Amino acid sequence: MFKLDLKRISTFVALTLFATTSISAQPQEIKLQTPPLDKRAVDGAIKYHIKDDVYADTYKINPDAYEIKQFNFGREATKNEIKARDIDVRYDWQGLPDGKGSVEQGDELYAKHCEMCHGEMGSGGKGYPLLVGGQGTLKNQMLKPGDEPPIKTIGSYWPYASTLWWYVKTGMPFPHPMSLTNDEVYAIVAYLLSLNEITIDGEELDDEYVLTKEKLMKVVMPNVNGFYPDVNGPDGPLVMKKFLSDSSNYATPNVRCMKNCPTAKVVRISQPLDDGIRPPLSTKRDLPKKEEGSAQNSKYAKLFEEKCSACHMNKAIAPVPGDKEEWASRIKQGIETLYEHAIKGFKGMPPKGGAMDLSDEDIKGIVDFMVEQSK
Amino acid sequence: MKREIDNKRESRRGFLKNIAASVVAAGTLAPSLLKADDPNLIEEPEWGKKLGLPVDKYLYGQPSPYEHNVVRRVHELLSSGDMYASVAMCPIHELDGIITPNGLFFNRCHGGVAIIDPNKYRLLIHGMVEKPLVLTLEDIKKYPSESVIHFIECPANGSTEWRAPQFNTLQFLKGMMSQAEWTGVRLKHILKDAGIKEGAKWVLAEGSDNSHMGRTIPLEKILDDAMVVWAQNGEALRPEQGYPIRLLVPGWEGNLNIKWLGRIEIGDKPWHAKEETSKYTMLMPSGKAIRFFWPMEVNSVITRPCPDKPWTHLKKGDVVEIEGLAWSGHGRIKGVDISFDGGKNWVEAKLKGLVLPKAWTRFSYIYKWEGEPLLLSSRAYDEVGNVQPTIDQEVGKMGVENIYHRNAIVTWEVKANGEVHNVQIRS
Repeated sequence: MFKLDLKRISTFVALTLFATTSISAQPQEIKLQTPPLDKRAVDGAIKYHIKDDVYADTYKINPDAYEIKQFNFGREATKNEIKARDIDVRYDWQGLPDGKGSVEQGDELYAKHCEMCHGEMGSGGKGYPLLVGGQGTLKNQMLKPGDEPPIKTIGSYWPYASTLWWYVKTGMPFPHPMSLTNDEVYAIVAYLLSLNEITIDGEELDDEYVLTKEKLMKVVMPNVNGFYPDVNGPDGPLVMKKFLSDSSNYATPNVRCMKNCPTAKVVRISQPLDDGIRPPLSTKRDLPKKEEGSAQNSKYAKLFEEKCSACHMNKAIAPVPGDKEEWASRIKQGIETLYEHAIKGFKGMPPKGGAMDLSDEDIKGIVDFMVEQSK
Repeated sequence: MKREIDNKRESRRGFLKNIAASVVAAGTLAPSLLKADDPNLIEEPEWGKKLGLPVDKYLYGQPSPYEHNVVRRVHELLSSGDMYASVAMCPIHELDGIITPNGLFFNRCHGGVAIIDPNKYRLLIHGMVEKPLVLTLEDIKKYPSESVIHFIECPANGSTEWRAPQFNTLQFLKGMMSQAEWTGVRLKHILKDAGIKEGAKWVLAEGSDNSHMGRTIPLEKILDDAMVVWAQNGEALRPEQGYPIRLLVPGWEGNLNIKWLGRIEIGDKPWHAKEETSKYTMLMPSGKAIRFFWPMEVNSVITRPCPDKPWTHLKKGDVVEIEGLAWSGHGRIKGVDISFDGGKNWVEAKLKGLVLPKAWTRFSYIYKWEGEPLLLSSRAYDEVGNVQPTIDQEVGKMGVENIYHRNAIVTWEVKANGEVHNVQIRS
């Protein structure tokens, strides 16, 4: 064993010596074979096959399973089932339902459902996306402190407005998706398009503008041509196969240079991020510290986690339980005021935090829990 | 960690002061701390003198309490400010072999981990099919199954490193990936029952959790090797992995392996979902973005040593195994080279264990370390002939604003005292 090690190590030393004493100091490279297009899958990867009941020269398979023409499992889906679940909106507008909403209505809905995370008029919040601006920034590269990064927003980056409708309808508001009516989604989309100064048929979307299905389908987003390759035609998958099979399209192909290879300088960590890691890094093998018994497992702690923590665990949006400084002034107002604010809404806080399924008693219990954590 | 390292360094310094000069000269390497007549051998240990736990103590087994630091970890910068659209990183520095224990599998989700009642679970398949289908979980499990080993990697793995090195820990540098043995059915078998119509080219796969995340996948991939899976490493999927059903798209972006899979729609055009427009698109220095990028490219990293598992315990002249993981979504790993001098000269490492398609592959190099400082790098190459790029090559083409698909060579600086630091070799 040890002999072998020495042999390998001496090989390495020899290589290094050769490298430093070589007169030519030319890089020495090993060329690799690349398969032709017809041996590749749609992603440019190796295309694997079943041969002699073995898949990819690796996994034995039962060929009888592959012989069966039909299994007839499950049952046929009904029209109503499909209608209830088919919630996507494709870029060619397939799936967009009817509805309408004005910019003004959208403004009100935005204040109620969106602003606590996405900021006033789409100006963004900590961790949550900015929704406006960024035009002309996409070529930016933030290479050193002070450089401006590219800013990817609905207006500067998104190629299709269909995605905006789909996203708002099925993914927003973040803690309560699928809670907005189609008309409400139209209104919020109208407001967001208006904020981004997007026009329809040359018309600006002012407060009174009412967005309908027909009008939305006319929207052409400013960055519609900002993406490649073009996959929307009938040969889309083939376009992708060719694109992904040629690594020079997306990378500088490397070679197996073995000696005298080009190299560069050593850059060390200047601003470590390790301090924010939770739980703190450790590879120790010891017994865990005993966990303190607390209110953590109470009913209201659980409700807080389910219904409130999306905002109230982010200090940029709402006061976080345990943050004594933030809570001191609030606790001073008296518990009844806090109950009222929580139940009826106050500033960025919607009534019951949007969790209208909770009773007033539940809300009071949650407030008690939050206050208790913050004393 | 910082404090711990500092403590370690302090105690080592204190120790070194009090011992013979010859040992100090031997290096700044930590000497063996094992004394002669070790009481751990001389005396009967406490676990040898009393009964252990009864067999019914944990009916679902737990790791040793001494392993409590082997956990996923989070960082608020890697989330949207909450812990719902966020990621918990896999402690890959603590893993052995190529299988990730289910409780440590990295967890990325977009609206929290959905807990689905398997009795109410339904998979809907519709669109350009002869017969739209509803399948229960039991229906799906009636199809003939296969078990395959594949990694799943988030394309944002390592994305904090585009401009400069930032994390001095492997867990956060490359922990957005894990590997399991997945059991399920090839989607091509299920689609025989639906019957695909002429002209169909694309598939929308959508999660049924609250983010309703959908992604477009070419039908060709779905019919090639995509699977609907219900088990990982021999047990039901964990909720974090999409219980009761997720899509498995071998070798492709983690995001495409839709968890809590609720719906499959077949169509003739791509959808352009939110994760194909605002996110998971690759913005190039030209200001234009690559729209779809599916496979995870050839990649590798040395896992021992690494910043989390340094060489501070070695004696001068110890023979040590340098070990790591290599993987490629384009196929099998063909080989891995190792450099000790920051990429000027390279030698071949050995692959060891199973070398599977689109799977983590272990590599190994036996080295006699004399305490000299090293710049240790690994460079993998795969079955399609792609070689892991240098940082300069990658940044030269892609810029630094891409976020996704960063697969450049990783370099560790091994110091004379055995500490290991994440550095970058770049112009």
